[in-house]
Amino acid sequence: MSVLSTPRSAVRLASKGTPLREHVFRIALLSSLVIALGFLLMLLIYVLEEGWPRIDATLWENMPSIRRPETAGIQSGIIGTLWIIGLTALMALPTGVLAAIYLEEYADRTKWYNRVIELNISNLAAVPSIVYGILGLGIIARWLDFGFTVMTGAITISLLVLPIVIISAREAIRAVPPSIREGSLALGATQWQTIYRQVLPSAVPGIATGSILALSRAIGEAAPFLMLGAATLVRFNPEGVWSSFTVLPLQIYSFISQSREEFHILASAAIVVLLAILLLMNSVAIWLRNRYQKRW
Amino acid sequence: MQNVSVRGPEVPRNIEALDPVFTVSDLSVFYGAYEAVRGVDLTIGNREITAMIGPSGCGKSTVLRCFNRMNDLIPGARPAGKIFFHDEDLYGDHVDPIEVRRRIGMVFQKPNPFPKSIYDNIAYGPKVNGMKGKMDSIVEEALIKAALWDEVKDKLKQNALSLSGGQQQRLCIARAIAVKPEVILMDEPCSALDPIATTKIEDLMQELARDYTIVIVTHNMQQAARVSDRTAFFTAEVDDAGERHGRLVEFDETSRIFTNPSDKRTEDYITGRFG
Ligand SMILES: Nc1ncnc2c1ncn2[C@@H]1O[C@H](COP(=O)(O)OP(=O)(O)O)[C@@H](O)[C@H]1O
Ligand SMILES: [Mg+2]
Repeated sequence: MSVLSTPRSAVRLASKGTPLREHVFRIALLSSLVIALGFLLMLLIYVLEEGWPRIDATLWENMPSIRRPETAGIQSGIIGTLWIIGLTALMALPTGVLAAIYLEEYADRTKWYNRVIELNISNLAAVPSIVYGILGLGIIARWLDFGFTVMTGAITISLLVLPIVIISAREAIRAVPPSIREGSLALGATQWQTIYRQVLPSAVPGIATGSILALSRAIGEAAPFLMLGAATLVRFNPEGVWSSFTVLPLQIYSFISQSREEFHILASAAIVVLLAILLLMNSVAIWLRNRYQKRW
Repeated sequence: MQNVSVRGPEVPRNIEALDPVFTVSDLSVFYGAYEAVRGVDLTIGNREITAMIGPSGCGKSTVLRCFNRMNDLIPGARPAGKIFFHDEDLYGDHVDPIEVRRRIGMVFQKPNPFPKSIYDNIAYGPKVNGMKGKMDSIVEEALIKAALWDEVKDKLKQNALSLSGGQQQRLCIARAIAVKPEVILMDEPCSALDPIATTKIEDLMQELARDYTIVIVTHNMQQAARVSDRTAFFTAEVDDAGERHGRLVEFDETSRIFTNPSDKRTEDYITGRFG
Protein backbone atom coordinates (compact mmCIF):
# COMPACT_ATOMS: atom_id res chain seq x y z
CA MET A 1 0.00 0.00 0.00
CA SER A 2 1.37 3.37 -0.94
CA VAL A 3 2.08 6.03 1.61
CA LEU A 4 0.29 8.68 -0.37
CA SER A 5 -3.07 6.99 -0.06
CA THR A 6 -3.15 7.20 3.72
CA PRO A 7 -5.37 10.04 4.89
CA ARG A 8 -2.68 11.54 7.08
CA SER A 9 -0.28 12.35 4.31
CA ALA A 10 -3.08 13.48 2.04
CA VAL A 11 -3.80 16.20 4.54
CA ARG A 12 -0.15 17.17 4.66
CA LEU A 13 0.13 17.48 0.91
CA ALA A 14 -3.01 19.56 0.49
CA SER A 15 -2.62 23.10 -0.86
CA LYS A 16 -2.64 25.85 1.72
CA GLY A 17 -3.33 28.48 -0.94
CA THR A 18 -0.79 30.97 -2.27
CA PRO A 19 0.46 33.27 0.47
CA LEU A 20 -0.16 36.99 0.13
CA ARG A 21 3.57 37.72 -0.12
CA GLU A 22 3.76 35.70 -3.32
CA HIS A 23 0.98 37.75 -4.88
CA VAL A 24 2.55 41.06 -3.92
CA PHE A 25 5.88 40.00 -5.33
CA ARG A 26 4.35 38.87 -8.59
CA ILE A 27 2.44 42.13 -9.01
CA ALA A 28 5.62 44.14 -8.36
CA LEU A 29 7.45 42.19 -11.05
CA LEU A 30 4.65 42.56 -13.52
CA SER A 31 4.30 46.29 -13.01
CA SER A 32 8.02 46.86 -13.55
CA LEU A 33 7.67 45.11 -16.87
CA VAL A 34 4.58 47.12 -17.78
CA ILE A 35 6.34 50.42 -16.99
CA ALA A 36 9.37 49.53 -19.10
CA LEU A 37 7.37 48.29 -22.05
CA GLY A 38 4.80 51.04 -21.67
CA PHE A 39 7.36 53.79 -22.14
CA LEU A 40 8.82 52.06 -25.16
CA LEU A 41 5.38 51.66 -26.66
CA MET A 42 4.50 55.31 -26.03
CA LEU A 43 7.68 56.42 -27.72
CA LEU A 44 7.01 54.19 -30.70
CA ILE A 45 3.43 55.37 -31.08
CA TYR A 46 4.54 58.97 -30.77
CA VAL A 47 7.19 58.82 -33.52
CA LEU A 48 5.03 56.66 -35.74
CA GLU A 49 2.13 59.04 -35.45
CA GLU A 50 4.20 62.14 -36.07
CA GLY A 51 6.37 60.65 -38.80
CA TRP A 52 3.61 58.71 -40.57
CA PRO A 53 2.82 61.31 -43.29
CA ARG A 54 6.46 61.31 -44.39
CA ILE A 55 7.07 57.55 -44.44
CA ASP A 56 6.93 57.17 -48.19
CA ALA A 57 9.14 56.65 -51.21
CA THR A 58 10.49 60.23 -51.24
CA LEU A 59 12.08 59.60 -47.86
CA TRP A 60 14.33 57.05 -49.47
CA GLU A 61 14.61 58.63 -52.94
CA ASN A 62 15.55 62.17 -51.97
CA MET A 63 18.52 63.80 -50.36
CA PRO A 64 18.17 65.99 -47.30
CA SER A 65 17.48 69.63 -47.96
CA ILE A 66 17.29 72.74 -45.84
CA ARG A 67 14.92 74.60 -48.14
CA ARG A 68 12.30 71.94 -48.90
CA PRO A 69 11.65 69.84 -45.80
CA GLU A 70 8.32 68.61 -47.18
CA THR A 71 10.05 66.64 -49.95
CA ALA A 72 13.50 66.15 -48.37
CA GLY A 73 14.68 62.60 -47.88
CA ILE A 74 17.35 60.80 -45.88
CA GLN A 75 19.04 58.71 -48.55
CA SER A 76 22.55 59.93 -47.82
CA GLY A 77 22.04 59.15 -44.13
CA ILE A 78 20.83 55.60 -44.76
CA ILE A 79 23.63 54.88 -47.22
CA GLY A 80 26.19 56.52 -44.94
CA THR A 81 25.04 54.41 -42.00
CA LEU A 82 25.29 51.25 -44.10
CA TRP A 83 28.82 52.17 -45.19
CA ILE A 84 29.94 52.79 -41.64
CA ILE A 85 28.37 49.60 -40.30
CA GLY A 86 29.68 47.49 -43.19
CA LEU A 87 33.22 48.77 -42.87
CA THR A 88 33.09 48.52 -39.08
CA ALA A 89 31.98 44.89 -39.37
CA LEU A 90 34.88 44.19 -41.75
CA MET A 91 37.41 45.68 -39.37
CA ALA A 92 36.07 45.03 -35.87
CA LEU A 93 34.71 41.49 -36.21
CA PRO A 94 37.88 39.68 -37.34
CA THR A 95 40.02 41.68 -34.92
CA GLY A 96 37.61 41.11 -32.05
CA VAL A 97 37.24 37.38 -32.69
CA LEU A 98 41.01 36.87 -32.98
CA ALA A 99 41.57 38.82 -29.78
CA ALA A 100 38.93 36.71 -28.05
CA ILE A 101 40.58 33.49 -29.28
CA TYR A 102 43.91 34.68 -27.92
CA LEU A 103 42.45 35.54 -24.54
CA GLU A 104 40.41 32.34 -24.20
CA GLU A 105 42.66 29.74 -25.76
CA TYR A 106 46.23 30.97 -25.58
CA ALA A 107 46.66 33.59 -22.88
CA ASP A 108 48.27 32.34 -19.71
CA ARG A 109 46.15 33.90 -16.99
CA THR A 110 48.96 33.75 -14.49
CA LYS A 111 50.91 36.35 -16.49
CA TRP A 112 50.38 39.92 -15.34
CA TYR A 113 50.12 41.42 -18.85
CA ASN A 114 47.24 39.14 -19.77
CA ARG A 115 45.37 40.17 -16.66
CA VAL A 116 46.00 43.84 -17.46
CA ILE A 117 44.60 43.31 -20.96
CA GLU A 118 41.52 41.55 -19.60
CA LEU A 119 40.81 44.24 -17.06
CA ASN A 120 41.23 47.00 -19.62
CA ILE A 121 38.88 45.45 -22.12
CA SER A 122 36.12 45.48 -19.53
CA ASN A 123 36.98 49.09 -18.73
CA LEU A 124 37.00 50.11 -22.39
CA ALA A 125 33.49 48.73 -22.84
CA ALA A 126 32.30 51.27 -20.30
CA VAL A 127 34.03 54.33 -21.81
CA PRO A 128 31.45 56.87 -23.09
CA SER A 129 31.22 56.97 -26.86
CA ILE A 130 32.07 60.67 -27.05
CA VAL A 131 35.53 59.84 -25.74
CA TYR A 132 36.02 57.59 -28.75
CA GLY A 133 34.97 60.56 -30.86
CA ILE A 134 37.73 62.67 -29.33
CA LEU A 135 40.21 59.84 -29.94
CA GLY A 136 39.08 59.53 -33.56
CA LEU A 137 39.32 63.26 -34.12
CA GLY A 138 42.75 63.62 -32.53
CA ILE A 139 44.47 60.54 -33.85
CA ILE A 140 42.69 59.36 -36.96
CA ALA A 141 41.24 62.48 -38.52
CA ARG A 142 44.06 64.90 -37.63
CA TRP A 143 47.26 63.04 -36.78
CA LEU A 144 46.88 60.29 -39.39
CA ASP A 145 45.28 62.96 -41.59
CA PHE A 146 42.37 60.74 -42.67
CA GLY A 147 40.05 63.75 -42.50
CA PHE A 148 36.31 63.52 -41.93
CA THR A 149 35.83 60.46 -44.07
CA VAL A 150 33.96 57.17 -43.96
CA MET A 151 37.28 55.55 -43.02
CA THR A 152 37.75 57.78 -40.00
CA GLY A 153 34.18 57.17 -38.88
CA ALA A 154 34.43 53.41 -39.34
CA ILE A 155 37.75 53.13 -37.49
CA THR A 156 36.36 55.18 -34.62
CA ILE A 157 33.21 53.06 -34.42
CA SER A 158 35.31 49.90 -34.68
CA LEU A 159 37.27 50.96 -31.63
CA LEU A 160 33.97 51.69 -29.91
CA VAL A 161 32.44 48.26 -30.55
CA LEU A 162 35.64 46.22 -30.30
CA PRO A 163 35.48 45.67 -26.52
CA ILE A 164 31.87 44.51 -26.78
CA VAL A 165 32.71 42.19 -29.68
CA ILE A 166 35.65 40.75 -27.75
CA ILE A 167 33.62 40.21 -24.61
CA SER A 168 30.72 38.53 -26.38
CA ALA A 169 33.02 36.40 -28.55
CA ARG A 170 34.87 35.28 -25.44
CA GLU A 171 31.63 34.25 -23.85
CA ALA A 172 30.65 32.27 -26.94
CA ILE A 173 34.06 30.56 -27.05
CA ARG A 174 33.93 29.79 -23.35
CA ALA A 175 30.52 28.20 -23.78
CA VAL A 176 32.05 25.46 -25.96
CA PRO A 177 32.57 22.60 -23.49
CA PRO A 178 36.19 21.69 -22.69
CA SER A 179 35.34 18.07 -23.49
CA ILE A 180 35.11 19.05 -27.18
CA ARG A 181 38.64 20.47 -27.09
CA GLU A 182 39.92 17.41 -25.21
CA GLY A 183 38.27 15.08 -27.69
CA SER A 184 39.91 16.86 -30.59
CA LEU A 185 43.36 17.14 -29.03
CA ALA A 186 43.27 13.49 -27.96
CA LEU A 187 42.96 12.55 -31.65
CA GLY A 188 46.25 14.25 -32.43
CA ALA A 189 44.79 17.53 -33.67
CA THR A 190 46.91 20.61 -33.09
CA GLN A 191 45.64 23.45 -30.96
CA TRP A 192 44.93 25.62 -33.98
CA GLN A 193 43.09 22.74 -35.76
CA THR A 194 41.03 22.27 -32.63
CA ILE A 195 40.14 25.94 -32.45
CA TYR A 196 39.49 26.34 -36.16
CA ARG A 197 37.54 23.15 -36.79
CA GLN A 198 35.77 22.52 -33.48
CA VAL A 199 35.66 25.53 -31.18
CA LEU A 200 34.95 28.27 -33.72
CA PRO A 201 32.17 26.47 -35.63
CA SER A 202 30.45 25.76 -32.33
CA ALA A 203 30.90 29.35 -31.20
CA VAL A 204 29.85 31.06 -34.43
CA PRO A 205 26.16 31.50 -33.55
CA GLY A 206 27.07 33.10 -30.24
CA ILE A 207 29.74 35.27 -31.84
CA ALA A 208 27.33 36.37 -34.58
CA THR A 209 24.61 37.22 -32.10
CA GLY A 210 26.96 39.28 -29.93
CA SER A 211 28.47 41.03 -32.94
CA ILE A 212 25.11 42.03 -34.37
CA LEU A 213 24.02 43.43 -31.03
CA ALA A 214 27.30 45.36 -30.78
CA LEU A 215 26.87 46.76 -34.28
CA SER A 216 23.28 47.69 -33.66
CA ARG A 217 24.42 49.70 -30.70
CA ALA A 218 26.85 51.52 -32.97
CA ILE A 219 24.09 52.36 -35.45
CA GLY A 220 22.36 54.58 -32.95
CA GLU A 221 25.51 56.55 -32.07
CA ALA A 222 25.58 60.27 -32.86
CA ALA A 223 28.05 61.58 -30.31
CA PRO A 224 31.32 60.31 -31.79
CA PHE A 225 30.32 61.54 -35.24
CA LEU A 226 29.47 64.96 -33.85
CA MET A 227 32.89 65.02 -32.28
CA LEU A 228 34.53 63.98 -35.53
CA GLY A 229 32.78 66.89 -37.18
CA ALA A 230 30.94 64.88 -39.79
CA ALA A 231 28.81 67.30 -41.76
CA THR A 232 25.16 67.27 -40.72
CA LEU A 233 23.78 68.09 -44.13
CA VAL A 234 25.32 65.95 -46.82
CA ARG A 235 23.52 65.94 -50.13
CA PHE A 236 25.40 63.05 -51.71
CA ASN A 237 26.15 59.40 -50.94
CA PRO A 238 29.69 58.32 -50.06
CA GLU A 239 31.55 57.10 -53.12
CA GLY A 240 34.21 55.24 -51.22
CA VAL A 241 35.98 55.04 -47.92
CA TRP A 242 37.68 58.42 -48.46
CA SER A 243 34.42 60.24 -49.12
CA SER A 244 32.74 62.48 -46.58
CA PHE A 245 29.45 61.23 -45.19
CA THR A 246 26.63 61.55 -42.73
CA VAL A 247 24.73 58.96 -40.70
CA LEU A 248 21.08 58.69 -39.72
CA PRO A 249 21.40 59.78 -36.07
CA LEU A 250 23.29 62.91 -37.15
CA GLN A 251 20.68 63.65 -39.77
CA ILE A 252 17.93 63.27 -37.21
CA TYR A 253 19.82 65.55 -34.87
CA SER A 254 20.15 68.24 -37.52
CA PHE A 255 16.47 68.02 -38.50
CA ILE A 256 15.32 68.36 -34.93
CA SER A 257 17.44 71.46 -34.37
CA GLN A 258 15.55 73.22 -37.18
CA SER A 259 12.57 75.31 -36.12
CA ARG A 260 10.07 74.45 -38.88
CA GLU A 261 7.45 71.84 -38.02
CA GLU A 262 8.04 69.90 -41.29
CA PHE A 263 11.55 69.10 -40.13
CA HIS A 264 10.24 67.55 -36.93
CA ILE A 265 7.94 65.32 -38.93
CA LEU A 266 10.87 64.40 -41.14
CA ALA A 267 12.96 63.62 -38.05
CA SER A 268 10.25 61.30 -36.73
CA ALA A 269 10.10 59.50 -40.05
CA ALA A 270 13.89 59.08 -39.95
CA ILE A 271 13.66 57.74 -36.40
CA VAL A 272 11.14 55.16 -37.59
CA VAL A 273 13.60 54.08 -40.30
CA LEU A 274 16.45 53.86 -37.77
CA LEU A 275 14.31 51.83 -35.39
CA ALA A 276 13.27 49.54 -38.23
CA ILE A 277 16.93 48.84 -39.08
CA LEU A 278 17.70 48.16 -35.42
CA LEU A 279 14.70 45.88 -35.04
CA LEU A 280 15.69 43.98 -38.15
CA MET A 281 19.25 43.45 -36.90
CA ASN A 282 18.09 42.34 -33.48
CA SER A 283 15.60 39.89 -35.02
CA VAL A 284 18.38 38.40 -37.09
CA ALA A 285 20.43 38.02 -33.90
CA ILE A 286 17.56 36.30 -32.08
CA TRP A 287 16.84 34.09 -35.05
CA LEU A 288 20.51 33.05 -35.26
CA ARG A 289 20.57 32.28 -31.58
CA ASN A 290 17.49 30.07 -31.71
CA ARG A 291 18.37 28.44 -34.98
CA TYR A 292 21.83 27.29 -33.96
CA GLN A 293 21.33 26.83 -30.25
CA LYS A 294 23.57 23.93 -29.33
CA ARG A 295 22.72 21.21 -26.92
CA TRP A 296 25.54 19.16 -25.51
CA MET B 1 35.92 -12.66 -1.39
CA GLN B 2 34.25 -11.54 -4.60
CA ASN B 3 33.05 -14.01 -7.10
CA VAL B 4 35.46 -13.34 -9.90
CA SER B 5 34.93 -14.29 -13.50
CA VAL B 6 38.21 -14.11 -15.31
CA ARG B 7 38.19 -13.53 -19.06
CA GLY B 8 36.60 -16.40 -20.97
CA PRO B 9 38.46 -18.81 -23.25
CA GLU B 10 37.15 -17.10 -26.42
CA VAL B 11 40.11 -14.72 -26.36
CA PRO B 12 43.05 -16.96 -25.55
CA ARG B 13 46.11 -14.87 -24.94
CA ASN B 14 49.15 -15.72 -23.02
CA ILE B 15 49.45 -13.24 -20.21
CA GLU B 16 52.57 -14.74 -18.77
CA ALA B 17 55.05 -13.07 -21.05
CA LEU B 18 54.85 -9.35 -20.55
CA ASP B 19 55.79 -7.53 -23.73
CA PRO B 20 56.01 -3.94 -22.54
CA VAL B 21 54.45 -1.02 -24.42
CA PHE B 22 54.80 1.43 -21.56
CA THR B 23 57.43 1.20 -18.88
CA VAL B 24 56.79 3.58 -16.03
CA SER B 25 59.49 4.06 -13.45
CA ASP B 26 59.32 6.21 -10.34
CA LEU B 27 56.61 8.44 -11.82
CA SER B 28 55.38 11.32 -9.71
CA VAL B 29 52.93 13.89 -11.01
CA PHE B 30 52.62 17.41 -9.69
CA TYR B 31 49.83 19.93 -10.06
CA GLY B 32 51.74 23.07 -9.24
CA ALA B 33 53.40 22.31 -5.92
CA TYR B 34 50.97 19.52 -5.05
CA GLU B 35 52.30 16.03 -5.64
CA ALA B 36 49.15 14.16 -6.69
CA VAL B 37 50.86 10.86 -7.45
CA ARG B 38 54.11 9.60 -6.00
CA GLY B 39 56.60 6.97 -7.10
CA VAL B 40 54.66 4.75 -9.49
CA ASP B 41 56.36 1.79 -11.20
CA LEU B 42 54.22 0.04 -13.76
CA THR B 43 54.48 -1.89 -16.99
CA ILE B 44 51.73 -1.99 -19.60
CA GLY B 45 51.81 -5.11 -21.73
CA ASN B 46 51.28 -5.20 -25.47
CA ARG B 47 47.72 -6.16 -26.51
CA GLU B 48 46.69 -6.60 -22.96
CA ILE B 49 43.98 -4.89 -21.02
CA THR B 50 45.41 -3.23 -17.96
CA ALA B 51 42.93 -1.94 -15.40
CA MET B 52 43.65 0.80 -12.90
CA ILE B 53 41.41 0.65 -9.86
CA GLY B 54 41.27 2.40 -6.53
CA PRO B 55 39.23 4.91 -4.55
CA SER B 56 38.48 8.21 -6.22
CA GLY B 57 41.13 10.90 -5.98
CA CYS B 58 43.99 8.43 -5.81
CA GLY B 59 45.47 9.58 -9.12
CA LYS B 60 44.26 7.00 -11.63
CA SER B 61 43.23 9.61 -14.19
CA THR B 62 46.36 11.59 -13.53
CA VAL B 63 48.57 8.60 -14.37
CA LEU B 64 46.43 7.67 -17.37
CA ARG B 65 46.67 11.17 -18.79
CA CYS B 66 50.46 10.97 -18.66
CA PHE B 67 50.42 8.14 -21.18
CA ASN B 68 49.22 10.39 -24.01
CA ARG B 69 50.52 13.63 -22.56
CA MET B 70 47.06 15.05 -22.04
CA ASN B 71 48.38 16.46 -18.78
CA ASP B 72 50.47 18.86 -20.85
CA LEU B 73 47.24 20.77 -21.40
CA ILE B 74 46.71 21.47 -17.71
CA PRO B 75 48.70 24.53 -16.68
CA GLY B 76 51.03 23.60 -13.85
CA ALA B 77 50.79 19.82 -14.36
CA ARG B 78 54.25 18.27 -14.42
CA PRO B 79 55.43 14.68 -14.35
CA ALA B 80 58.69 13.60 -12.79
CA GLY B 81 60.26 10.21 -13.35
CA LYS B 82 60.26 8.23 -16.57
CA ILE B 83 57.69 6.82 -18.94
CA PHE B 84 58.99 4.86 -21.86
CA PHE B 85 56.78 4.11 -24.85
CA HIS B 86 58.56 1.09 -26.29
CA ASP B 87 62.11 2.36 -26.05
CA GLU B 88 61.36 6.04 -26.44
CA ASP B 89 61.21 8.47 -23.56
CA LEU B 90 57.65 9.82 -23.80
CA TYR B 91 58.68 13.12 -22.25
CA GLY B 92 61.95 13.42 -24.16
CA ASP B 93 62.81 16.78 -25.72
CA HIS B 94 62.37 15.62 -29.30
CA VAL B 95 58.94 14.08 -28.71
CA ASP B 96 55.96 15.84 -30.26
CA PRO B 97 52.90 15.49 -27.99
CA ILE B 98 50.61 15.79 -31.04
CA GLU B 99 52.19 12.68 -32.55
CA VAL B 100 52.00 10.94 -29.15
CA ARG B 101 48.25 11.56 -29.01
CA ARG B 102 47.76 10.25 -32.50
CA ARG B 103 49.41 6.97 -31.61
CA ILE B 104 47.84 6.73 -28.19
CA GLY B 105 44.10 7.34 -28.34
CA MET B 106 41.83 8.24 -25.49
CA VAL B 107 38.19 7.70 -24.54
CA PHE B 108 36.71 9.86 -21.81
CA GLN B 109 34.37 9.33 -18.92
CA LYS B 110 31.49 11.26 -20.43
CA PRO B 111 30.90 10.50 -24.12
CA ASN B 112 32.06 13.63 -25.95
CA PRO B 113 31.13 13.33 -29.63
CA PHE B 114 31.59 16.50 -31.66
CA PRO B 115 28.34 18.30 -32.49
CA LYS B 116 28.63 17.07 -36.07
CA SER B 117 27.39 14.15 -38.13
CA ILE B 118 28.37 10.59 -37.23
CA TYR B 119 30.46 10.46 -40.39
CA ASP B 120 32.29 13.71 -39.65
CA ASN B 121 33.02 12.59 -36.10
CA ILE B 122 34.97 9.62 -37.43
CA ALA B 123 36.50 11.46 -40.38
CA TYR B 124 37.83 14.29 -38.22
CA GLY B 125 40.84 12.46 -36.80
CA PRO B 126 42.08 11.04 -40.12
CA LYS B 127 41.58 14.48 -41.71
CA VAL B 128 43.56 16.49 -39.20
CA ASN B 129 46.30 13.87 -39.32
CA GLY B 130 46.43 14.02 -43.11
CA MET B 131 45.80 10.29 -43.45
CA LYS B 132 45.71 8.91 -46.96
CA GLY B 133 43.06 6.55 -48.25
CA LYS B 134 39.37 6.61 -49.07
CA MET B 135 37.55 8.34 -46.25
CA ASP B 136 34.36 6.31 -46.72
CA SER B 137 36.18 3.07 -46.11
CA ILE B 138 38.17 4.49 -43.18
CA VAL B 139 34.88 5.52 -41.56
CA GLU B 140 33.20 2.20 -42.26
CA GLU B 141 36.13 0.19 -40.94
CA ALA B 142 36.30 2.19 -37.72
CA LEU B 143 32.56 1.84 -37.13
CA ILE B 144 32.68 -1.89 -37.79
CA LYS B 145 35.55 -2.32 -35.37
CA ALA B 146 33.63 -0.38 -32.72
CA ALA B 147 30.58 -2.62 -33.26
CA LEU B 148 28.47 0.36 -34.23
CA TRP B 149 28.22 0.01 -37.99
CA ASP B 150 24.97 -1.96 -38.11
CA GLU B 151 23.24 0.56 -35.89
CA VAL B 152 24.31 3.69 -37.77
CA LYS B 153 25.06 2.72 -41.36
CA ASP B 154 21.78 4.21 -42.56
CA LYS B 155 22.16 7.50 -40.74
CA LEU B 156 25.77 8.51 -41.11
CA LYS B 157 24.74 12.09 -41.89
CA GLN B 158 22.72 12.36 -38.70
CA ASN B 159 24.01 14.42 -35.80
CA ALA B 160 26.06 12.29 -33.41
CA LEU B 161 24.31 13.88 -30.44
CA SER B 162 21.11 12.12 -31.45
CA LEU B 163 22.64 8.75 -30.53
CA SER B 164 22.10 7.13 -27.15
CA GLY B 165 24.80 7.45 -24.49
CA GLY B 166 26.15 3.96 -25.13
CA GLN B 167 26.21 4.52 -28.88
CA GLN B 168 27.93 7.85 -28.36
CA GLN B 169 30.64 6.16 -26.32
CA ARG B 170 31.16 3.51 -28.99
CA LEU B 171 31.31 6.34 -31.53
CA CYS B 172 34.08 7.89 -29.45
CA ILE B 173 35.89 4.56 -29.50
CA ALA B 174 35.42 4.37 -33.27
CA ARG B 175 36.71 7.92 -33.56
CA ALA B 176 39.83 6.93 -31.63
CA ILE B 177 40.33 3.80 -33.72
CA ALA B 178 40.02 5.73 -36.99
CA VAL B 179 43.45 7.34 -36.57
CA LYS B 180 44.97 3.86 -36.22
CA PRO B 181 46.47 4.18 -32.75
CA GLU B 182 48.47 1.51 -31.02
CA VAL B 183 47.06 2.12 -27.57
CA ILE B 184 43.61 3.14 -26.37
CA LEU B 185 43.33 4.77 -22.97
CA MET B 186 39.90 4.73 -21.35
CA ASP B 187 39.01 6.81 -18.33
CA GLU B 188 35.94 5.27 -16.68
CA PRO B 189 34.32 4.79 -20.09
CA CYS B 190 31.19 3.16 -18.68
CA SER B 191 30.50 5.26 -15.63
CA ALA B 192 27.87 7.32 -17.44
CA LEU B 193 26.22 4.31 -19.08
CA ASP B 194 23.47 1.85 -18.19
CA PRO B 195 24.30 -1.84 -17.57
CA ILE B 196 23.39 -3.00 -21.08
CA ALA B 197 25.50 -0.35 -22.75
CA THR B 198 28.28 -1.19 -20.30
CA THR B 199 28.20 -4.85 -21.29
CA LYS B 200 28.47 -3.87 -24.95
CA ILE B 201 31.53 -1.72 -24.28
CA GLU B 202 33.12 -4.48 -22.21
CA ASP B 203 32.57 -7.00 -25.00
CA LEU B 204 34.01 -4.48 -27.42
CA MET B 205 37.12 -4.04 -25.29
CA GLN B 206 37.71 -7.79 -25.32
CA GLU B 207 37.42 -7.69 -29.08
CA LEU B 208 39.73 -4.69 -29.47
CA ALA B 209 42.42 -6.21 -27.25
CA ARG B 210 43.34 -8.49 -30.16
CA ASP B 211 44.75 -5.50 -32.01
CA TYR B 212 45.25 -2.79 -29.42
CA THR B 213 46.82 -2.24 -26.06
CA ILE B 214 44.14 -1.00 -23.69
CA VAL B 215 44.49 0.79 -20.39
CA ILE B 216 41.25 1.33 -18.54
CA VAL B 217 40.55 3.29 -15.40
CA THR B 218 37.49 2.02 -13.60
CA HIS B 219 35.93 2.42 -10.21
CA ASN B 220 34.01 -0.75 -10.83
CA MET B 221 35.96 -3.72 -9.49
CA GLN B 222 33.74 -6.28 -11.17
CA GLN B 223 34.49 -4.59 -14.47
CA ALA B 224 38.23 -4.77 -13.84
CA ALA B 225 37.85 -8.42 -12.91
CA ARG B 226 35.74 -9.18 -15.99
CA VAL B 227 37.79 -7.51 -18.67
CA SER B 228 41.39 -7.01 -17.65
CA ASP B 229 44.52 -9.12 -17.82
CA ARG B 230 46.42 -7.13 -15.27
CA THR B 231 45.26 -4.80 -12.56
CA ALA B 232 46.99 -1.92 -10.85
CA PHE B 233 45.53 -0.99 -7.49
CA PHE B 234 46.06 2.61 -6.40
CA THR B 235 45.25 4.25 -3.15
CA ALA B 236 45.82 7.61 -1.51
CA GLU B 237 48.20 7.89 1.39
CA VAL B 238 48.56 10.77 3.80
CA ASP B 239 52.18 11.69 4.47
CA ASP B 240 53.69 13.22 7.61
CA ALA B 241 52.88 16.75 6.39
CA GLY B 242 49.22 15.77 6.08
CA GLU B 243 49.19 15.81 2.27
CA ARG B 244 47.44 13.10 0.25
CA HIS B 245 49.40 11.39 -2.46
CA GLY B 246 48.26 8.71 -4.85
CA ARG B 247 50.35 5.53 -4.59
CA LEU B 248 50.43 2.34 -6.54
CA VAL B 249 49.86 -0.41 -3.99
CA GLU B 250 49.95 -3.52 -6.08
CA PHE B 251 50.24 -4.48 -9.71
CA ASP B 252 49.69 -8.03 -10.82
CA GLU B 253 47.70 -10.37 -13.00
CA THR B 254 44.04 -9.66 -12.47
CA SER B 255 43.25 -13.17 -11.30
CA ARG B 256 45.93 -12.90 -8.64
CA ILE B 257 44.80 -9.44 -7.50
CA PHE B 258 41.25 -10.67 -7.04
CA THR B 259 41.93 -14.07 -5.53
CA ASN B 260 45.23 -13.81 -3.76
CA PRO B 261 46.41 -10.22 -3.33
CA SER B 262 49.74 -9.83 -1.62
CA ASP B 263 48.95 -6.52 0.04
CA LYS B 264 46.48 -6.21 2.90
CA ARG B 265 45.13 -2.89 1.53
CA THR B 266 44.29 -4.48 -1.81
CA GLU B 267 42.44 -7.25 -0.07
CA ASP B 268 40.51 -4.79 2.08
CA TYR B 269 39.56 -2.76 -0.96
CA ILE B 270 38.36 -5.60 -3.15
CA THR B 271 36.44 -7.21 -0.35
CA GLY B 272 34.71 -3.90 0.25
CA ARG B 273 36.16 -3.23 3.67
CA PHE B 274 37.74 -0.01 2.47
CA GLY B 275 36.98 2.86 0.03
N1 LIG C 1 43.77 19.72 -12.90
C1 LIG C 1 44.09 19.48 -11.62
N2 LIG C 1 44.63 20.45 -10.86
C2 LIG C 1 44.96 20.23 -9.57
N3 LIG C 1 44.77 19.07 -8.94
C3 LIG C 1 44.23 18.06 -9.64
C4 LIG C 1 43.86 18.21 -11.01
N4 LIG C 1 43.33 17.04 -11.44
C5 LIG C 1 43.37 16.20 -10.38
N5 LIG C 1 43.91 16.80 -9.30
C6 LIG C 1 44.14 16.19 -7.98
O1 LIG C 1 44.95 15.07 -8.12
C7 LIG C 1 44.49 14.00 -7.33
C8 LIG C 1 44.21 12.79 -8.19
O2 LIG C 1 43.14 13.07 -9.05
P1 LIG C 1 42.65 12.08 -10.19
O3 LIG C 1 43.81 11.65 -10.97
O4 LIG C 1 41.56 12.75 -10.92
O5 LIG C 1 42.08 10.87 -9.33
P2 LIG C 1 41.15 9.65 -9.78
O6 LIG C 1 41.06 9.63 -11.26
O7 LIG C 1 41.82 8.45 -9.21
O8 LIG C 1 39.83 9.86 -9.12
C9 LIG C 1 43.26 14.50 -6.60
O9 LIG C 1 43.64 14.88 -5.31
C10 LIG C 1 42.84 15.70 -7.39
O10 LIG C 1 42.26 16.66 -6.55
MG1 LIG D 1 39.37 9.89 -12.51
